[in-house]
Amino acid sequence: MPGIAEERLIVAETIEDARDALRQGRAVLAGGSWVMRAPVRGQALPERLVSVGRIAALGRVEVEENGYVIGAAVTHIALTEALRGMPQLTGLVTAAATSANPAVRRVATVGGNLCCVDFAASDFAPALLACGALVYLETAQGPVTLPMTEFLARRAEVLPRALLTGVRVPRSVRASAHQRLPMRKAGDYPVAIVSMAICGGELHIAVGSVEPVARRWTALEQALDRRALDPERAGGLAETLNDFNGRDGIEADGWYRREVLPALVRRCTAALLSGESR
Amino acid sequence: MSTTFQLNGETCRFDGDPMTPLVDLLRRDRFMTGTKAVCREGFCGACTVHVEGVPVPACLRPVGLLEGLSVTTIEGASRYDAEARRLQAAFERVDVVQCGMCFPGMVMNLSQFLRENRSADRDAVKHAMVGNICRCTGYERIVDAVMECLAEAHSPGGTDV
Amino acid sequence: MSETERTIMNLPRRDAPDKLRGRTKYTNDRMDATTLHAALLRSPEPAGRIVRLDVSGALKCPGVRAVAMAADAPGLFGIGIADHPLFASDTVRYIGEPIAAIAADTLEQAHAAVAAIELEIEPAVPVLTMEEALAPGARLVHENWRHYEILFEGGSRRGNIAWEAKSVRGDVDAAFARSDVRIVESTFRVGRQNHVPFEPRVAICTWEDDRAHIQTSTQVPWTVRNVTGKAMGLPPGRVRVTVPPVGGGFGLKFDATIEPITAVLARKTGRIVMLENSRFEETTTCLCRENADIRIRSAVTADGDIVGREATVLMDCGAYGGEQIFLTTMTAHTLGGNYRLGAVRLTSRAIYTNTPPNGAFRACNGVYNTFALERHTDEICAELGFDPIDFRRLNVLGDGDLGATGQVFDGDVLGPMLDRMERLREKVGSARERAAGRLYGRATTVGTWFIFVGPSSATVNLNADGSATLVTSGVEIGSGTMMQSLPQIVAGQLGLDPSDVIVKQADTDAAGLDVGVGGGRTTVSIGAASIEACVPIREKLLKTASEMLQTPPERLTLRNGRVEIAAIPGSGATVAEVVQRAQSIGGPVTGTGSFTAKNVPAMAGCAMGHFIEAIDIPVFAVHDAEVAVDPETGHVEVLSYSVVQDVGRALNPRAIHGQVQGGVVQGLGYALQEEVTLGDQGEIRQSGFESYRLPLATDVVPVAIDLYEGAPSMGPLGTKGAGEVPILNTAATIGCAVANAIKRPVRQIPLTPPRVLRILRGGEPELPHPHISSDWAQDTLD
Repeated sequence: MPGIAEERLIVAETIEDARDALRQGRAVLAGGSWVMRAPVRGQALPERLVSVGRIAALGRVEVEENGYVIGAAVTHIALTEALRGMPQLTGLVTAAATSANPAVRRVATVGGNLCCVDFAASDFAPALLACGALVYLETAQGPVTLPMTEFLARRAEVLPRALLTGVRVPRSVRASAHQRLPMRKAGDYPVAIVSMAICGGELHIAVGSVEPVARRWTALEQALDRRALDPERAGGLAETLNDFNGRDGIEADGWYRREVLPALVRRCTAALLSGESR
Repeated sequence: MSTTFQLNGETCRFDGDPMTPLVDLLRRDRFMTGTKAVCREGFCGACTVHVEGVPVPACLRPVGLLEGLSVTTIEGASRYDAEARRLQAAFERVDVVQCGMCFPGMVMNLSQFLRENRSADRDAVKHAMVGNICRCTGYERIVDAVMECLAEAHSPGGTDV
Repeated sequence: MSETERTIMNLPRRDAPDKLRGRTKYTNDRMDATTLHAALLRSPEPAGRIVRLDVSGALKCPGVRAVAMAADAPGLFGIGIADHPLFASDTVRYIGEPIAAIAADTLEQAHAAVAAIELEIEPAVPVLTMEEALAPGARLVHENWRHYEILFEGGSRRGNIAWEAKSVRGDVDAAFARSDVRIVESTFRVGRQNHVPFEPRVAICTWEDDRAHIQTSTQVPWTVRNVTGKAMGLPPGRVRVTVPPVGGGFGLKFDATIEPITAVLARKTGRIVMLENSRFEETTTCLCRENADIRIRSAVTADGDIVGREATVLMDCGAYGGEQIFLTTMTAHTLGGNYRLGAVRLTSRAIYTNTPPNGAFRACNGVYNTFALERHTDEICAELGFDPIDFRRLNVLGDGDLGATGQVFDGDVLGPMLDRMERLREKVGSARERAAGRLYGRATTVGTWFIFVGPSSATVNLNADGSATLVTSGVEIGSGTMMQSLPQIVAGQLGLDPSDVIVKQADTDAAGLDVGVGGGRTTVSIGAASIEACVPIREKLLKTASEMLQTPPERLTLRNGRVEIAAIPGSGATVAEVVQRAQSIGGPVTGTGSFTAKNVPAMAGCAMGHFIEAIDIPVFAVHDAEVAVDPETGHVEVLSYSVVQDVGRALNPRAIHGQVQGGVVQGLGYALQEEVTLGDQGEIRQSGFESYRLPLATDVVPVAIDLYEGAPSMGPLGTKGAGEVPILNTAATIGCAVANAIKRPVRQIPLTPPRVLRILRGGEPELPHPHISSDWAQDTLD
């Protein structure tokens, strides 16, 4: 029998187990929907891994006083079901309920989605950015909390030494919407995403899949008056304030991702307003 | 590390690499070839199996994560799953099969969908099929068969399983 | 009830129960614990010279049993010209070209050993596009092109022009010079289409009694037999090919590709060897539907007569000629089809490039030539002010009209089909309201295809239990022909129930020559051979029964599994009893039949470099679509789709409806979503299901279908093949409907959202096609 250190895959039962395994250089295995595709990407699977799917604390969605805490190992489908009754989180629910395809949504997790540094088309990244979410990490030095923006900017450097345990979506989210543009009606990764949320009176707009990393559209946020929000005006301003540099990909060129943003902003604004009025 | 799980109701012990995708264990190790390996990345649905009753792509499930769980493949469902059998009968009845390679996965996905969505409309059925690609049939007749099953389940004589 | 009437039924498929339960063993399900697995070393360069290939390290790797390279199978093969080696020996011509193969105990070991092969290639500058290939001084993809063996005489070739076929009928120059014509010129470009069969190309070979036995996922067992023999330098009779159920073909498996490699490795190891393309390999070395560049010019009078037409079609064959050599023939019948033309001249060229070879795909050549022709027709209508449907009614081919090679068409078919489409549209109604604020467009198009006939054979053995065994080289690729129409035909001839007709899987040791499943030919060619095989059987049955029943044969009939006195249902004897009697007197009751092309005459001198000069069985199609275009994102939604298809006679209408729905959806993918682009080394960039976007359930609509019966056909019982044709004018119809919706010309497909948005925003580049002259004569050799 090889010792535990030599095992190809260990299944962590606690956050501490997982954190220790990470320190030993193990790669994290969550739902597997990204890691298992390594051979198709021409990559080797990691030598040694730790599975975090059985850590109870990572599999929960909890409603706390100041936020919704979503465990990193919560699957897309589980998140959809847990938050379905919360209309203010429609944006996040849409992201969870429409990404990829039904079978992948049953295995892919929130944490996995955020930890795939090379995955520019993540639905959760813009949705959580718009909601002003915080990311919980467990490091050798203890727990660390990062705002989404900072997490996305630093994740390549942080993740080899930190375990993403969950995210917190603040209770201050009043309304949200998520507009994704796949090339087919469904079933593929969106080539552009606009996510909006109204958090504590502020309008947040995040854009995903257009650039390599999702980001807030601060120029547009500043130009739009939260109280006089109007889809047409939002779309018009999005055209003049379009400061995105679209990434070229096999599925679409950069110009296209950029070009469709005003329409997505208009549609997302309309969805946001209709959600807010409900 | 060895992994032990229930495969179609029988105990299955696997001593190989725990990162082996379930689809490879089934096809290459056990020669259970009803589960098809087509895209190997979760898009086509041809390798769909039930893990704890939930349809998932077997290409994306490392065997090492199955410890203690119950796995049903098309071979098992064709014998024991009433919903799968009803669906198979409907597919035969409407003459939908062509090359046939997508159908084991279609049956595995849609049987579970039927169980959980008794009042689904055509559009909902189509959305449930987004991860099951068929290159031959153009889908509509598959949807017809599912709608027949739903109507059957609603009709007074229909057996609700 | 006539034999024809009792042949018609919606027979369900006998293979469905097993397929639905995962019990069917496709070729790639047939490995066992003793099977060796093979992997290929493929070229990482699009062009260059192999300067070092050292397999000594690989041979020392664990589990390795054999390696195969060019020296093991030096013969060149091909269609028309023998230009294709099994393995690259000196020159590599595309990324992914096989260089060596390794058989090992496991697939992982085979891959590890492939990685241990030392390969050094001196790269050359690749020729990536047809424009580059035709430029003066272009590097030759095949330096040695002059010395290749010619397998079919008559084609013109030069340098990177692998093959040229021409058709010329009438004085086109005079037509274009007339003072009363307007000249309309259009250019088009279409991309490749990947078949994506769910079962990739895969073969398993054993070496038995000093012969190869190859089980393979193919449409053409006889081609596999012949190519394997040619590559290995063996008489083809040393190769036996059997074909398990095929998990989708669509034309991809109309060529031998990896099968001979398994034969080489099986011979070396004496073991069972399996070679299966990974999905990546399958997708990136797919023998795609070729990309093509097209220029069409027409001279049209104010009354709408097309007095002259000329066109040049460039087809990218990739690194080797393959199917495109043959397909140059088709342009005369597809681009030259649909309409009555005063004078016409067409050039069709297959061009070598350093890109993965292309191949055959359902309605080869026809889909894009129909797209080009129908869009050009709409451009004529726009320029001259005709209503597109009226213009088509005026000009579609009718009884006695001449095709591009001078063949005379029989019967009015397309005209009445346009009427039927009008009625179908009325019946189905418009889906316009579902456009919901988006740009709406509709179009009706016509298409001409033909059933590729050619040799087939069939043997029918009538068994003592009253069942019949049909032995052919036909393959069940999913279309259902072997499960439905053929047993129906034999049953109809012999008065049996189709379930009593056993259909043997293709085996080149058991059945005679067949050119394979493709071009919609199986029902027609094997069906005709099967009917012929039944003739002596019927005679023998009737003769024997006549003696048994003391009734003259002409008063007997075969029905319900009995030989009955026609006037008295239920009389006579069972077929089983009659067979037993006949066997005891004269031995087993068997029959054989053969069929081949009838060679409908063309006009002398019209066709040059053509593999067939006229089409034996024309097939016509009329399609109609409504689309909605999102003006802000370029997404096209198909709102409705209707098909009137000429099927001759529908033996199994329900099965044909299934083929139409499936074929149309494949065409929708081609028209809208399925995009293959080549990278800067000529590699296919869409390497899997993430980037190659097949239609999904949410992308499709139910097709409204009207089967048009009764058009002339030499097919058995009046049939024409029905499975090939439904894809024919899908891209044309969608292209025209989108053009109508966005009120701008559509000249390229697929119409992906970015392309449509670019057209809408005026950013779509023109297609000047500098490599296709507007002076037609400049585009022809000799």
